[in-house]
Amino acid sequence: MDQPEVSEILQESADDEAPRFSTLYLTSAQAETSTAESYVVIVRTRDEFERWLLHPAPGAMLLQVEGLIMDPQGWATAAQGAQPIPVDVVLGDPASEFSSLYRLVDVRNSRAVRVTIVARPGFMKALRLAVSLGLPVRLLPGQPNAALLAELHDAANFYLRDPMVEVPVEFFHSLLAGFFEPEAATLWDFLEQSPALASLDGECATCRWQEVCAGYFKHPDPAYDCAGVKQLFTALEAAAEEIKCDLAAVNDGISP
Amino acid sequence: MSDRVFSVILLPTAECNVACSYCFEHKEPHRLSLLLVPLLTKQLLDHLDHEGIDECEIYWQGGEAMIMGPQWFVDAGKLMNDAAEARGRRFIHYLQTNLISYSPAWNDVLRDLFGGSLGTSMDFPNLHRKTFSGGAENYSAVWTARLRQAQAAGLEIGVIAVLHQGSLDAGAEAFYRYFTEELGLTSFQVNTPFPGGPAQAVAAEFDLDRTALAEFLGELFDIWMERGHGKGVSLGPFDSLIHHFTGAPARLPCIWKENCSNQFVSIDSKGTVAQCDCWVTSYPESFFGNVFKDPDLTTMLRTSPARQEFVERPKHLVEHEDCLECRYLSICHGGCPVRTYSALGTMLAKDPYCEVYKTIFARAETHGRAVIRDEILHRRLREAPRSSAGSMTTVAKSGRPPMGGPT
Repeated sequence: MDQPEVSEILQESADDEAPRFSTLYLTSAQAETSTAESYVVIVRTRDEFERWLLHPAPGAMLLQVEGLIMDPQGWATAAQGAQPIPVDVVLGDPASEFSSLYRLVDVRNSRAVRVTIVARPGFMKALRLAVSLGLPVRLLPGQPNAALLAELHDAANFYLRDPMVEVPVEFFHSLLAGFFEPEAATLWDFLEQSPALASLDGECATCRWQEVCAGYFKHPDPAYDCAGVKQLFTALEAAAEEIKCDLAAVNDGISP
Repeated sequence: MSDRVFSVILLPTAECNVACSYCFEHKEPHRLSLLLVPLLTKQLLDHLDHEGIDECEIYWQGGEAMIMGPQWFVDAGKLMNDAAEARGRRFIHYLQTNLISYSPAWNDVLRDLFGGSLGTSMDFPNLHRKTFSGGAENYSAVWTARLRQAQAAGLEIGVIAVLHQGSLDAGAEAFYRYFTEELGLTSFQVNTPFPGGPAQAVAAEFDLDRTALAEFLGELFDIWMERGHGKGVSLGPFDSLIHHFTGAPARLPCIWKENCSNQFVSIDSKGTVAQCDCWVTSYPESFFGNVFKDPDLTTMLRTSPARQEFVERPKHLVEHEDCLECRYLSICHGGCPVRTYSALGTMLAKDPYCEVYKTIFARAETHGRAVIRDEILHRRLREAPRSSAGSMTTVAKSGRPPMGGPT
């Protein structure tokens, strides 16, 4: 399967002011004239980044920073923190960009920082380093092929088992939490993306994960085979059961 | 304003009044003039303004800082603090001294400027800290007398001990008892040695066997956990590691920061700026600039090619070493650049004490889990006072839930 463009995985539709996950995503140019009460500004150049860092409009609630992780100047400005607007740093090529996450060490002390990692081969490097730096992660899986599925399983295992992990890694985090306290949210919500118009017929119709998945993995290719993804869901469910058992054992052990 | 804190290791003089054989500093008779303190202060405050940082920690070291005399610190501290207050900033001052020149005449400034505390250094056994005329034995006698005086004056004293072969030979038990029982200290830390600068000549004395060093530190860690932890004795870096592994706020030592270049610089009496005191006194090839000559500190730090190597080091390590696969990456990040440079001639490699650190981290992780288990147990027992001894055993065996992230 050909790799989709980053913007496709991010589901950017900044040509119009279409709402996405109940949030408005605007390019820097669009945001300049927007009268919306709140919106996310997508910045792709250092000038755009510094403009919104230094003079954020009242409605700008977050800067989604794309393609700038390698630029030290922008991050030096972001570390200054006079206007602490949060930033979501998108890694479109995590295998080659991961080490530049060290540029965010000072930034995270000045403002809230999240790293959005597009699941592409080698993304585990970025996940490991982001977590080691205490940065929350949003992992966008797209429609993973076999190799990426194996890496996603490694990532889930790392999130679940490594005691050094102290930050949420989405979508694992919300999915796991849902096994303890079920809620009406779906993967689209966990990953802050607006639901695509995917049909829930076919494989989805009989899938036990349909409620929480809501057809996420059937987009953009409705013929995508979800077998590997289902195993991932099952692994997270099993981990939740394991935690429940451990907690019950602790409680039982000291009950009068 | 951000939560960032900027720290400066400030060396008011390169002079020293003792002759330690493993000192990495090039000593010379130069002192920071009070006339230059306002310019130095302005450079620091401008940098804080530019970076949006509220507080600056000043770690006064040397050479030997007490050579400057107490009145010099009264005057310098007032100049700096008044200037900071006028700009809505704050300096916090700390003093590291060998104590040899200490007398009660220091007590007022130690209380007023340094919060009633000071840091000093001593090894066990003391083989390498020497006075010019009396050697190590004389140094120990003078230092111990000064320590007693300072303790009697009510000052809080923290001691740094550099480990050497003699420490390993003496063993962790004797080492711990010396600092806690013989000296009566409640705060000390152990540092690993490195043969920087002039100390290169005695490098062999400090090239400790890594396995023996790890065993020593592990044993010392165990002793402290049994007798000191939770009983009023602070032993670094073990205490901050226990904080980390029990989920408490932890300030890990500089050698394990994500990137020390983000956290501090060192400035000597001539205004030379480098990464830390080790670099500013020993490695001219790594100077960032001069705070009395460069137009501003912020630009110097951003444009210095020498500093760029420090900035890039952690990136290089996760790309080229095995740090990314290490379970302790989040609390190590490849270790100390100067320890690496002094041992290997390049900083673009992981710390040569890597395996020693891993041993300590693993020990801290084990002890941390036990602490958490005990805390849970005690909390539950308070909530359920009728619990039986048998059920307590069950809890202890079941331990912490195995999941790392969400629990």
